[in-house]
Order: sequence, then structure tokens, then C-alpha cells
Amino acid sequence: MTRADAAVTLRAISRVFGRGNAAVRAVDNVTLEFPRRAWTAVMGPSGSGKSTLLHCAAGLENVDSGQVLLGDTDLTAARDRELTALRRTRIGFVFQSFNLIGSMTAAQNVALPLRLAGQRPSTALVRDTLAAVGLADRARHRPRALSGGQQQRVAIARAMVTAPDVLFADEPTGALDSSAAAVVLDLLRVMASGGQSIVMVTHDPLAAARADAVVFLRDGRVVDRLAGADAREIANRLASLT
Amino acid sequence: MIALFAGSLLSVTLGVALVQSSLLLLITAATLDTPPGLGAAERMEFSDNVTAAVSMLGLILGMATFLAGFIISSTFAFTVAQRRRDFALLRLVGAGRGQVRLRLLREAVLLGGLGAALGVPTGLLVMAAQAALMRHQGFVPPGFEGEWRPWILAVSFGTGIALALAGAMVAAHRAARVRPLEALRDTGTAARVMTATRWTAGLIFFGGALALVIVAPVGGPGGGAAMAMNVPLPAAIAAAALSPLVVPLLGRLLPTGSGVIGALARANLWDARRRSASVAAPLIVLVALVIGTAAAGASITDAGITELRRQTQADLVVTATGPVGPAITAVPGVASASTELSIPATVVTDDESSSASALVIDPAAYARAHSLSQPASALPARADSAGPAAGSPAARSDSVSPAASGGLAVRADSAGLAALRGRAVAVGPGGEIPSSGSIRLALPDLDLGSVPVVASVPATISGGANLLLPAGLVPERLLAAAPAQSFVTLEPGASADTVRAALGRIGTVTDADDWLRADAAARSEVNNKIMVAVMGLGALYALIGVVNSIVIGAAARRREFAAARVGGLTRGQVLRAALLESSAVTAAGILLGCLAAAGALIAAARTTSAVTGTATVTLPWTLIGAVCAVALLVTGATSLITSWSATRPAPITLLAARE
Ligand SMILES: Nc1ncnc2c1ncn2[C@@H]1O[C@H](COP(=O)(O)OP(=O)(O)OP(=O)(O)O)[C@@H](O)[C@H]1O
Ligand SMILES: [Mg+2]
Repeated sequence: MTRADAAVTLRAISRVFGRGNAAVRAVDNVTLEFPRRAWTAVMGPSGSGKSTLLHCAAGLENVDSGQVLLGDTDLTAARDRELTALRRTRIGFVFQSFNLIGSMTAAQNVALPLRLAGQRPSTALVRDTLAAVGLADRARHRPRALSGGQQQRVAIARAMVTAPDVLFADEPTGALDSSAAAVVLDLLRVMASGGQSIVMVTHDPLAAARADAVVFLRDGRVVDRLAGADAREIANRLASLT
Repeated sequence: MIALFAGSLLSVTLGVALVQSSLLLLITAATLDTPPGLGAAERMEFSDNVTAAVSMLGLILGMATFLAGFIISSTFAFTVAQRRRDFALLRLVGAGRGQVRLRLLREAVLLGGLGAALGVPTGLLVMAAQAALMRHQGFVPPGFEGEWRPWILAVSFGTGIALALAGAMVAAHRAARVRPLEALRDTGTAARVMTATRWTAGLIFFGGALALVIVAPVGGPGGGAAMAMNVPLPAAIAAAALSPLVVPLLGRLLPTGSGVIGALARANLWDARRRSASVAAPLIVLVALVIGTAAAGASITDAGITELRRQTQADLVVTATGPVGPAITAVPGVASASTELSIPATVVTDDESSSASALVIDPAAYARAHSLSQPASALPARADSAGPAAGSPAARSDSVSPAASGGLAVRADSAGLAALRGRAVAVGPGGEIPSSGSIRLALPDLDLGSVPVVASVPATISGGANLLLPAGLVPERLLAAAPAQSFVTLEPGASADTVRAALGRIGTVTDADDWLRADAAARSEVNNKIMVAVMGLGALYALIGVVNSIVIGAAARRREFAAARVGGLTRGQVLRAALLESSAVTAAGILLGCLAAAGALIAAARTTSAVTGTATVTLPWTLIGAVCAVALLVTGATSLITSWSATRPAPITLLAARE
């Protein structure tokens, strides 16, 4: 794989929490590429460093050593101003707890990143983005009036409205029941097939099976990588790690 | 969210109202016209009273501004801290630091403007209340009303916006530095509470308080008292800034026997240091100001009372009008009498004209009556001459602290007072007049021109006349109407009853003992009235600030309470834990406030010791008890009500909303 094909490149990154005896190497010397236009799942036992890896890859967490590249942009060298600009244009986030702004309607939440970037998003764009996640008729609802699955789809719409280079998702189906999860996964599959680069952390082999490839972590290190595996294979591999 | 904005708005509204009202009253008093038809003496007395009212209103305005600045900035800082996660979320979706800061500052301008818009009409109500209070206590003439000035609109809006902006500035800076990742932590992050700003502010203001405590004794009676009364301001800010260090530690002292509820309250206190500190801050200021200022004031008043007792050498006091001195001395059985006639005066020094109080005295008798003439070695002789009044307070306090009295005798200035004749004048115990050179002196309807100042008696902590004048300087017609007070000493063996009867034909006769007691009571009452006028509304504002913080804090706790209930606690247990927590925070606030108040007390003790020779410390226990009770009651009730309403919805509905 050449570098132009990598959406995100991690070069020997490490992240340590705490000091001395209490130090935890959450990410331990990881070198990894997340390919462009592909959906990569990250799996591993609880506490294996998945979230930390994702945060580092997205420039939300500083690395202690190593280098993180978003396309050609070095995130480790970026200052806060540049990272902010990247979050508005090239990086999208979706998290387990949906992190919508409670006082804003679904449409306002979706329009927020563009408005922060100083643009005036057209109602058509916002409507289309919400329609793409199947929520055209919920634009005026506030988060508390939406189901969990609907809230997560608003969060995805908010992440997608800026057409980011990479969409980072940390257990996006973790708080959803299986049918709501299926809707979200279908949505991500459509986006990935349309050329969207996605990096997703998940516990669920069924979710990981929808991705193009799965990376396995244990104790902060990459221990395996599967491509095109089905849910059973993935579950077995995961079980062998714990 | 609504509670946060309403809380900030309330703090601005009341702050603006208080400042506006005090300012309008001050301006009204300062520009008060002398009512027509007053005699010259009455006019001078009127302007003297106005001066006193203006300086008191200046104090009130200072207090109001201080409180408004403090309460508004601490409320703003708290609401911003409570919204930390929201800002992290904004940062996560691409908000820059500048945008977060700008948004908060814009909000502050809006809240400041809105608060001022509500504060202006509220201020008019506050002004009516404040004027009524001051009329009731006799600090302003009857019929005194604050007057509206159109320019106050600009001042009030400026105050509201400036205070809100200043309050939001530090908080906005902090909020802008929040890391986007913090949005992902489900529970509020335990952000560092003891920031560099807090340390710096805490230490600087602690230094300020310490400096006042150190310098107070050098400030003389007036300056020292003022410094002592001001100690609570910086001390309270220091205590509030450093409170996150102390409040959770005190939480550790909660009785461990209280089981799971105690454990929960303890854990909450530790985890929510920010919230505890925000509730404690206005409480610390409230307690420090009310108790500190009142205790310092009472100590200084009491020192004055003791001093007066020690210095007054008389058996009887005669109150009359006009030059009754010769008549009193002529009464058989009277050994000596110092008759003192009070006359209002105007003094001009360096082109500055100020009203002053003058006493027309007989220097020798005055020195005898106010223990200025006894050298230290003559103490026993005085006990002799006291005759029938051997048990008088003066004699008693001498026997208690002869050293202090000796110190006084050394400073006594009988030789100087002897020079008080012709056109010469002397500086009285009230001071505030240059003790050498000459001054321009005007009496009612009589300009005396330049007169030399030839002597000064030691300044007393209880104050008194600014000037002492010899009898020859003042024309008969002025003396005839002047109120007179005579301190009479009887001859040994004279029949007190006979002398009293004779003196009763001249004026009202009082036992010196009774007179001193009545004077002490009057002084304490005036001190109390001043405290109520200066502190009353401010204390109420600080108390509302406390309630405000609790309500703001509780608004963010619905989920926390819900989690505790899902975790198996009953609603009653959650409420009990909240009550326990708030009581612990209140106790900590009271303790820190008392610590700050102690600074004022130390300054007062040092000042009284420097001026009178004896350190006087008076603790107003009733007030202390009342303040503690009110604080505990109000915080307890508020936290019960807020947590009761926060736990009303079924817990699951709160946990389900994952915004
Ligand atoms: N802010 C932090 N401070 C200290 N330690 C942390 C912090 N964040 C993560 N850790 C530690 O780093 C390790 C990896 O955490 P991380 O959240 O990345 O795990 P994870 O794989 O996402 O787990 P899970 O599947 O349970 O979400 C854990 O041991 C965790 O305790
Ligand atoms: Mg995780």
C-alpha cells in the first residue's frame, strides 16, 4: 500500500497514562495504516487500548511518541488551531454516547460544524444529510424526543455533513439494540461503499463483519488483522485473545 | 441550562440594583440643599450630618460594588465550569478556542445588559428600602428620598456589562482551553480546581489582608479602625480562592458512622470540589463580612467605652444649655467642674473646607476631668480625690491596669493645654486637624480668620470633638445657645444629695457611672445601626448568591441522583446525602469565613492595644450564632428543595437521555 492510499497512518505511536508503577501503556508502539475508501474495524478485549488508539488517530489525544498522519498531514505536529480546522473539514466523529447538544434540534445539531466553520449551510443540505440517515421527518426534534438509534443517526449526519476524509466511530452501536444497530451499520456500509473512509471500534463481531477489514488489539498492541472474515471467524479470533 | 442562565442573570440584576441604589443615594445626599430657615448653628450641624451620611453611603457603595463584583464573577465562573462538557462538545465538532471564548463573552454582554435592564427597576425598589432604613435609623433627615438621575442608566448598564464581562473573562479563558476529548467522558471530568489563577488570587489577597492587619495599629484611632473593618474583604477573597483545598478536607471529618449516606456525601464532596467551592464562596464572604466587620466594630466601640471610663474623672455629669460653668463651680461641695460647650465649626486647611465639632473648655478643669493632668506618680492622690466615688469605673479600671493608665499619663499634655488662651486653639480627642501651624476657623455666622493651633490632646479611639477652644474666643451669644456638659467632682465629705439638689436647678444631673453606662449603650447602638445600614442589604445579596449557587449546582445533578437511585438508594437516602453534603459545605464555608473574620479581629485588637494600651476583643456571639443558624437553615432548605425536585422524575427517564 502506498501512502496516498492510506487515510490514516500510525507510525510507532505510544500513549502512556500515569507514571511510575501506575503507568498504563494504553497504546504500545503501534504501526498501522487505515486504507482510504475502506471501512476498518478495530477490536480487542476491554481495556486493550481501542478507544485510545482511535483518539490518537483522530488527533483528540496526544501521542507520547510516534507520528500520526491524516493523509499527508502530520497531526502530531499540528497546533490546536490546525486541529480545530481539521475537525471542521476532514475529520468526523461518532461515539457510543451520542454527544448531541441537547438544546438544539436535530437540524441545528447537523448544521453546527458548518456554522462553526463560518458557513451558512443551506436548509437543503441539512435536509438531504438528515434524509440520507433516514430522518428527514425528524429535523425539528430535539435529541430527547428521539430514540437512541435515531440520535445516533443524527450524530452520523452531523459527522458526515462536512464530507470528512475519515469518519471515526467508537462503538457506534454499543448503546443500541440489534435492530437499531442494524440500521446504523447499513448506513455505514452504504457510506463505505460510496468511498467514505471509516475507522470503527466495536465489541460486536456482527458489526465488525460488515467492515472491509478487522484489526485486533491486545494490551495496546496490534496482534492480528483479518480481511473479509465473517462474524464467526471474527468472534473466534476475539475469543482467542481474551 | 435554564437554571444556569437564570442564576447568572439574577446575580447581575441584584448586583446592578444594589450598586445603582447606593450610588443614587450617595449622589442625592452629597447634593442635598440645606433647608431654608435654619439658623447658622443649625446649618452647620446639618452639613455635619450630611457629611456623615455621605461618608456612610460611600462605604455602602464600596461594599455593594465589592459584593457585586465578587458574586457575579463567582457565579459566572461556576456556570461556565458546569457547562464544560458542552464546550468540549463544541470543540469536538470543530469550534476553535476563539469561538468558545467569544461565545462566552458575548453571552456575558447579553446577560450583563439584560441583568442591567432588570436591575435598573429593581434598583429603584432597593433604593426605596435603603432610604427607608437610613431614615429609620436617623442617618439621613426625615423625608430623605433617593433621586433618579438620567445618567444612572448609562452607569447601570455599564456596571452590569463590565462586571459580567470581568466575571466571564477568566472563566472564558479556561473554557476555551477545554480538551475536546472531555466531551467523551460521560461523567463531568474532575478538572483541576486549584488553578494558577486561584493560587495567585488567594495568595495576593491573603497578603493584602495580612498587610492591613500589620499596618492597622500604626493608622491611629480612625485609620486603624477603618483598616480593621476592611480586613474581611481581602481575607474573604483569599479564603474563597483557596477553599477548594479546604472544603473537601473538612468533608473527611463527616462522622464515619453515618454509613452509606455519609460515604456518598464524602465522596461527592471530594469529587465535586468545584461545586462545593462555588457554594462556599459567597458563604465565606457573607460570614467574613458580617461577623468580621461587626466584631471589629464592636471591639473598637468597646475599647472606646473602656477608654472613656478610664479617662473620665467625675462624680456627676450635668447636662444644661449655655455657659453654666461658673454657676456649677459656685455650688458648695463642688471641688471642680469641667464645663464643655459644643459648637459646630468649619475648618479650612489648604483650601479644603470641612465641618468640625468644637468644644469650648476651661483647660485646667478639662485636663482634670479627662485624666490628662495626672502624672503617673500621682495615681494614689487621685484615688483620694475621688472621695465618695472611690468605686467609680475610672478608679476600678485604674486598679485593673495601672500600666495602661501610666502610659496615658505620660502622653498627657497638661502643659500644652495651659497654652490654650486668647486666640489659640487645640486639637481635640477627635483629631483630624493638623496639630501645629494655624487653621482658618469659622463659627456659625462668625469668621474667626486664622488661628494658631498650640496643643493637642491624645486622640481617643472613641473620638470626640475635633477642636478645643478657650472661652474667650467665642462670643457670648453663641455660647448662650450651646449645649453644655459638665463633669463635676465633689469635695471630700460633701453631701452628694445636697449638691445634686443644687445642681438640679442648673441642669439635668446624672451619676457619672450612669452617664457612662448610657453613653456606652448609645455608642453600641450607633455602631449596630451603622452595621445594619452598611451590611444589611449586602448580606442579603450574598445569601441569595449562596442559594443561587446551590440551585445552579443541583441543576446538573439530576443524572447523578438518578444513577444513585438506580444503584439502589431510596429517594430519601439521596436527599439525606445531599443534605449532609450541603451541611458539610456550609460548615466549611462558615469556618473559612470565621477565619477571615478573625483577621479583622486581630487587626482590631492590635489597633485598640496601640491606641488605648489594652487590646480589646469583643465577639458578638448572638450575631455569630444567628449567622451560622441562618446559613445552615438556608443552605439546608435549598439543597433539600432542589434535590427533591431533581429526584422527582423516575430515574430511568433521566438516564435514558444520552445527549
Ligand atoms: N484518561 C485516562 N487516564 C488514565 N488511564 C486511561 C485513560 N484512558 C484510558 N486509560 C487506560 O488505558 C487503557 C486503555 O483504555 P481504552 O479506553 O483505550 O480501552 P478500550 O480498549 O477502549 O476499552 P473498552 O473496550 O472497555 O472501551 C485502560 O487500561 C485504561 O484504564
Ligand atoms: Mg473504549
